[in-house]
Amino acid sequence: MKKLLEISLGIVTSVGGFLEIGSIATAAQAGADFGFQLIWAVLLGGLCVIFLVEQSGRLAAVSGHTITGAIRERFGFNYFFLLFIVLSLVTLLVLSAELGGVCIALELSTGIGFQWWAIPIGLLVWLLIWKGTFGVIEKGVSILGLVTICFIVGAIAMKPDWNRVISSAIPTLPSHDSSHYWFIAVSILGASISPYLFFFYSSGAIEDRWDENYIGVNRVIAFTGMSFGSLISVAVLVLGALVFLPRGLHADHYSQLALLLQDAFGHWGFILFILSLGIACLGAALEITLEMAYFAAQGFGWNWSENQPPKKEARFSLTYTVVILLAIFIVLTGADPLKITITSMALTAATLPLSVVPFLILMNDRNYLEEHTNGWFSNSVVILIILLTFVLAVVSIPLQILGGG
Amino acid sequence: MELIRDCLDKQVVDRKGHKMGRVDGIIIELSGGRRPIVSAIELGAVCQANRLTKSLGRLVKSISKRSSVVNRDPFRIPWSKVVSAGTEVIAGVEAEKTPALAWELWLRKNIIARIPGAS
Repeated sequence: MKKLLEISLGIVTSVGGFLEIGSIATAAQAGADFGFQLIWAVLLGGLCVIFLVEQSGRLAAVSGHTITGAIRERFGFNYFFLLFIVLSLVTLLVLSAELGGVCIALELSTGIGFQWWAIPIGLLVWLLIWKGTFGVIEKGVSILGLVTICFIVGAIAMKPDWNRVISSAIPTLPSHDSSHYWFIAVSILGASISPYLFFFYSSGAIEDRWDENYIGVNRVIAFTGMSFGSLISVAVLVLGALVFLPRGLHADHYSQLALLLQDAFGHWGFILFILSLGIACLGAALEITLEMAYFAAQGFGWNWSENQPPKKEARFSLTYTVVILLAIFIVLTGADPLKITITSMALTAATLPLSVVPFLILMNDRNYLEEHTNGWFSNSVVILIILLTFVLAVVSIPLQILGGG
Repeated sequence: MELIRDCLDKQVVDRKGHKMGRVDGIIIELSGGRRPIVSAIELGAVCQANRLTKSLGRLVKSISKRSSVVNRDPFRIPWSKVVSAGTEVIAGVEAEKTPALAWELWLRKNIIARIPGAS
């Protein structure tokens, strides 16, 4: 009974916490520019993240290590430090995108420019982490995040041509703007396969004191939660294709994004969109901020736990405080949050091998996983998708820049 | 036990289980003709910087000398005080009384504790 409750809560958390500014913006743009054609990228990213999240939970449950802790031990200080610098820079950009996402939701609903919201929202994120416990942050916000299911309801209500939706699960070559097509594909993959997501998941498993008895629970949560989450992203893409493409809009300004649910739900669509965007980005901002502090604390060996009062872990608390201040600063510069989003997702994709390759080596190390090491299937799925993402990123990012963005 | 696999970079906790840092370095003593012996483990920013590059190590060392917060960096724990090396390295010391937590305690006292709601 307890396990069943934990599984349900875990699934709710994964589904409610799945969507964020990156998946919304990239899927909507994909739909706007290429119709249903890029659905395969969302599915491929979703498939990879199912495997990575399952592996991350298994590592924590069997070895009692977070990914960061295990990487520092297995690959030494220098590799940890390199990863720390690269991931911190990329993740900080992702965090400012999420913070910007909440601010955009507020601008759309109040008319007051998004920069004005950076400080109050940054303060809110900080206050929730400063005073909240892990359970409140992870589960509370994710349960509210279930509002994002409205995208699935909306997509079904719009009666898309299901045959075309399903046939787009198979990758096809673009008929126009091929460098843009591959760039959006890379951004979609970067938005789905975010290292902060599976790194955070292993920290959460340790915070919730998982042991080997949780291997089954973990598998069900990872598979169901992440598949259903990916379906929400598919729904955003479908809506993007049905709403933006016929109107010739490119979803390249955030004010356009607000139209996403309007055809399906009328005025309520606008309200649902604002709520979904605001809550999804707030949840992601909380997770990312915490993960950046976890990463430093676990790698350097400081005290870390979101369940302790800040005084007991001064360096951990100071880290997330500084991280939030930096993200607020980036939003305050007034840089277009949507541009930051797309750029940070592409950068995530390009830097994926740095975190995923050592992680996979750990997942095959019996010193950590005992008899629960990866099978050939999980290894192959992750290696193939990461390799594809990396190659696409290296080829398409320069092309996109040369092509004038 | 293999020093690199089972000791280097492991989490160090004190006898009460408080986290102190990670094993940033291992000190091995070589003395005339005898077998080398492990004499201590090392913790701290100087040791970490040294692992990146020697010149960065010297830079961090000179900064650390001028700071009044830490008086000993790198901080060494004699091998005789290392209780066991499994998932974690347990050191038979009291974390808060060692230089390993000097920065943690300084930040707690001077910054974090001054923000409302810290305890």
